[in-house]
Amino acid sequence: MPDIKELVEYMAQSLVNDPEAVVVEEVEGASATIYELSVASNDMGRVIGKQGRVANAMRTLLRVAAVKEGKRVTLEIV
Amino acid sequence: MASQAKGSVEVSAKTVEEAIQRGLSELGLTRDQVEIEVVNPGRGGVLGIGAEDAQVRVSALPVEPSVEMESPRVEAEGEPPVSQPEPLESEGDVAKVAAELLQGLLDRMKVRARVKARMGDDLAEEGEEPVLILDVTGDDLGILIGRRGETLRALQYMTRLMLSKKLERWEMVIVDVESYRVRRRRSLRQLAVRMAERVAFSQQRVVLEAMPAHERRIIHIALRDHSQVATTSIGEGDRRKVTIVPK
Repeated sequence: MPDIKELVEYMAQSLVNDPEAVVVEEVEGASATIYELSVASNDMGRVIGKQGRVANAMRTLLRVAAVKEGKRVTLEIV
Repeated sequence: MASQAKGSVEVSAKTVEEAIQRGLSELGLTRDQVEIEVVNPGRGGVLGIGAEDAQVRVSALPVEPSVEMESPRVEAEGEPPVSQPEPLESEGDVAKVAAELLQGLLDRMKVRARVKARMGDDLAEEGEEPVLILDVTGDDLGILIGRRGETLRALQYMTRLMLSKKLERWEMVIVDVESYRVRRRRSLRQLAVRMAERVAFSQQRVVLEAMPAHERRIIHIALRDHSQVATTSIGEGDRRKVTIVPK
């Protein structure tokens, strides 16, 4: 399902200086779907935030979408 | 398109910009003479399906004493009202951008909800400036609030980040879901007053449950002029608690 991937892309692209470098890979794990987000190296701070605050906000919102689709998801920034 | 009190009209049009222009010519005023509130940013819809007109309220700002109340309309015969291309500066534009960003986020979260932007002071403390508030409404939106408002905080944080990135400056915006913040604020104030009475009566301090910063602030401000109690916070981070002590 591409929907959650789109959500990750939307958030990441809205936060970075280089939206074209945003790539999201969807990987089926044993117990959850893993979304691997990569951005330009100088944009890393923008998607992680101080003490991971931005990444955690993205995870919280991702969880809402996942509940709607009845699946388990995790977000990793690679 | 119902007009309200003198000097204020509500206008609908295809886009926010169009509605503003219409409101301005109806009032015979220019952009710097009015306050603009985006009641509904509207949406394009797909092939007109689900499209919704944008709606704004254009209100005349208080005028100089020399200007008569019944200021005659400036009839711009033949020539349309002068409108400079506006950069993303006016309140209406910022409100529109903010509402669109949040709507885009909610759509991708598969949450069926509507966003309305308004300038409001009901989520500010007395004497504070009105701020841009994005009201999210829909069915069964508890999922957007989360335990103790955790999800709502993430939603607001993400909206602020996206908006600030887009405008390239920090912009204050509050996101509320089904008036959760308004209700929470009311109950925190009631709690503050009740606990203050108890402290004043018993002369024993009361420690409230842990709350995020903006909620603690509501308690502090509610009791700052209280004659018999004072407030402080104890603990660190997520565990920080307001304490009400006798004076």
